Formats: sequence, C-alpha cells, structure tokens
Amino acid sequence: MAIKFKRVNYIYQGMDGTPFRALKDINLTIEEKGEFITLIGETGSGKSTLVQHMNALIKPTSGQVEIYGIKIEETKKKSSKIKLNPLRQKIGLVFQFPDYQLFEETVERDIMFGPMNFGISKEEAKKRAKEVIQLVGLETGYLERSPFNLSGGEKKRVSIAGILAMEPDILVLDEPTSGLDPKGRDELLELFLSIHNKLNNTVLIITHDMNTVYQYASRVLVMNDGNLVFDGKPIDLFASPKLSSWNLDKPDLIDLCDKLSERLNITFENYPKDLEKVVARIKAGYHE
Amino acid sequence: MAYIKLDNVSFNYRKDQPVLKNISLEINKGDWVSILGHNGSGKSTLAKLLIYLLKADKGTIEIDGVKLTEKTALDIRKKIGIVFQNPDNQFVGVTVEDDIAFGMENLCFDRAKILQRIETYSKKVNMHQYLKKEPHNLSGGQKQRVAIAGILAMDTDILIFDEATSMLDPASRDQIMDFIKQLKAEGKTIITITHDMKEAIKSNNIIILNKGEVLAQGDTKKILTDKRLLNTSNLELLLPLKLMHRLKQENIHNEELGEILWQLSLNA
Repeated sequence: MAIKFKRVNYIYQGMDGTPFRALKDINLTIEEKGEFITLIGETGSGKSTLVQHMNALIKPTSGQVEIYGIKIEETKKKSSKIKLNPLRQKIGLVFQFPDYQLFEETVERDIMFGPMNFGISKEEAKKRAKEVIQLVGLETGYLERSPFNLSGGEKKRVSIAGILAMEPDILVLDEPTSGLDPKGRDELLELFLSIHNKLNNTVLIITHDMNTVYQYASRVLVMNDGNLVFDGKPIDLFASPKLSSWNLDKPDLIDLCDKLSERLNITFENYPKDLEKVVARIKAGYHE
Repeated sequence: MAYIKLDNVSFNYRKDQPVLKNISLEINKGDWVSILGHNGSGKSTLAKLLIYLLKADKGTIEIDGVKLTEKTALDIRKKIGIVFQNPDNQFVGVTVEDDIAFGMENLCFDRAKILQRIETYSKKVNMHQYLKKEPHNLSGGQKQRVAIAGILAMDTDILIFDEATSMLDPASRDQIMDFIKQLKAEGKTIITITHDMKEAIKSNNIIILNKGEVLAQGDTKKILTDKRLLNTSNLELLLPLKLMHRLKQENIHNEELGEILWQLSLNA
C-alpha cells in the first residue's frame, strides 16, 4: 500500500481562538496501483485537509500517516526532519484554485518548475512541458503566454499540466473540473482515465459532481463533518438510505431512472450506466 | 424599452485576440437571463463591461436609458450588484459584518440603515451567527453567502451572478438558486452567467455566447432543447432532454411524454 492513515486527527486553531476538529479518527488505506477514487462531501467536511495529509503538506495532530513506508506524525516529533521532497514527487497534488499554484512569467516556466525542483534537467523539463500542455488540451503556443492572462479553465489546465510534468505515482486532484464547461470537464476526466488506464496508477479526485463518481470511480470516499463515513463502491453509496443525510445528490442517470419509474410505471432491474438502456426500457413499453 | 441594451459592443485585451465581437442584445426589466457559453467565450468579460470594470473598445451600453461612460459609471454601478465566482477575490472587510457593510457604505447609506440591513440580510442568508467572524475562516459556501448578503443589502435593481455557484457543493448551490428565484419574484433584473444547465433552465431567457459572439438568444425552452446549438458551444442537454431527443430519434414521442421529461428537467 502507498498511503495509510491510522487514527488520524487534525485540529487547527481558528482565528478567533476556538479549536476546530477538521479530521476525526481517520483510518484509510490507498493503494499505489489500480484505484480510481473519488472523494466527496459538503464544503467544510474535511476533504481538502485529508488530501493535504497525503503528501505531508500538513501533519496530523494525533495518529499517523504512512506514505511509502515513511511515517508522518505530529509536527513536534522527529518526523518533521524527514525529507519530504521525494514524497511530493511521488504524490502529485493539484490544488482547487489554480491561482495559488501559478506564479512564473510564462506557462512553460510554470510547468517546468516542479520537475526541475525534483532534479530533472532543464532540457528534459522543457520537453515534458511541451508534451503535457498538449495532453491537457492546450496548444503549444500557450507555453509562451503569461499564466495570469488565461481564463479560469485554461489556468486550471496549466496547473494540472505542471503536476503531470512531475510524473507522480499517485495523482491527487482537488476539484479539477469545477468551473469548467461540460465539454472541458469531460475531456479532463477522460484524460485522467486514460492516464490511469495507461499507467495503472492510482488517481484520486475530489469532486461535487455525482456523475463523475458514478461514471468513473471504482471507489468512493465520503467525508462528513470530519469523519470518513463511507468507503466503498459508488453503486452501494447511491443505494444507501444515508445519502441525503450526508447532503449528497444522486447522479443524474439514477435520479432520472427513479423519477421515470414513478411517472411511467416502469422498473429498472439495475441502475444503468448508459442512457441507451433507458431508451430501450421505454421502447419496451410504459404506462403513465 | 430595453432596460439593458448593448449595441455592437466589442472588446479585446490584446489587438490580435478579440474577446467580444459586435455584441448586440437587450434585456428587459424584471427578466432573468442566463448567459451561457464555453470557457473563454467572453461571458465574464461581458459582466465586467456592464459594471465598467472594463471599457468597451467599440459600441455602446445603455442601462435604464443612460449611456455607460466614465462620467455615468459611478451612478450606473449603484444600480448593479455583482457576485463573482471565487469568493476569496471579493472580501474586503475584517469581519463578516464589515464585509456586508462595504457596498452599502459606498452607496452612502446612513449608519442606522446599514446596521439594520446587516441584521436583515445576514439572517436571510443564514450567516447571522458569523457576523463577528473573519471571512477567511469560512467555507466556500459560507463566503459566497456573505458576498450575496452584501449585494442584496445594497438593494440594486440589477443583480449579476458570475458563475457564483460553480465552486460550491450542491446544497449551497440550491440555496443560492432559491435566493435568485426570490429576487426574480421581487421584480429584480437578474443575469446569471453559467454553464450549468440545471441553473440555466430556471431562467426565462437565454443568451449563448460562442467565441465572443452571440450565437443564439431567446426563450429558455427553445434554446435548451436544441442539441446542435448546445454542442456547438461545448454545452450539453440536460439528461431528461437528452432522453427526449433520443426518443424522438427512435420515433417514440408524444406530447405527454415530452411534457413529463420537460418537467423533470426543470427540477433536475
């Protein structure tokens, strides 16, 4: 296993002095290979705090996170002396707001920063920049532009390219598709899926989009008020009566099937993953 | 007469890259219009032109019969409230309370009125218990609610929501959509900029921008059921409407089924 959380708690001091328990007794294992995971939950439920533990950007208040055999514990203990750079190359984290991640004069230099920071030569970093910019769906002409004159969606793609250029083992993406138009969203999800299929590496995506969870994920984690309340298959999550108590929606396709069952008096044996199954079911006849 | 009128408006950041090209459109008082378009279509630039954060290179913008110029901009801004996508970029106050007050202070409301409206609107967005807190300790949804309280408190005739829900979870998004419905019922003129079809379908008119030009404008139902039009602009049919479209291709369509699917898409 690549990442293991053992009874992890994280408490931070709010600006007004009151302590806030962002993570409560989290136990969790993430494999290095083969997983396509989505992490969901309301805003403020602890999702971003959880993934920031995965490359030791923040350290647990109590409990332990083990990343590739390296134990990360409370800040005061010795683990704070451990070199974290190699971990951060292995686990690539893309932040939710690209503005916090982009800072160089050109897109090219921004993308090259990560790999060069991990000891990759300038030539190799340049070569990778040219590859990954196309991978995220932008033309190579973007390399010369300033990252600050890009649209929100373009910035997002550049920030993802910067992490891909580091060739991490595990790819962690904090809401990579929020703010993108439907086509842009689908293109990026297909990109993550194709990287995952090619390298068989683990991809973890934070999202609010239940369709992404249903259509792409092999495993889904649900955070609620600092607790990990669900860890399992998407289809089991969406069948769970607790779904609405966690303030989660159903995916559009499941929602449509439920409403059609009600309105047209039809039943579905299993929830389909493809609209064509619904078309076929209606073709087979219905009664209002 | 149109309440907001754009006549042949063009804008570019760099000479070789026009962002908006010859935009002409009209929005009536009390309308709720969604401006849809792909990333980079010029949607947000259009919003910035309306509040004179950016100045059009060509063409004219008229709001409530007054032409938007450097001279009239301050007065026209008093009619328009805008909520942006990323709440972090719009906080100015040290506390939530200060932040809600900021817009009203700019409009020179008297102190008693400001205090009273802070009470009213913080309660309305369910943030009353946070008034003394610092904004950056809040979650994204809470921040956006504070931003909205500040805008509502200004009591402007026109409200612009520039992808105001795209960073929020579904529960926070629904709450904000409920505010917008209420505002519409109160007779405000509302412009929502989005590529979320679930939001767009709740408005009564749609304008589609594509590569800086108006590709289509008109009645919501007409536009949101047009698959080809939406696909051209990187948008997609809502799932019940996609089903309607597929069933038509399979020669299964009748008015009742069509109506059921339209109703389902309204509440998607």
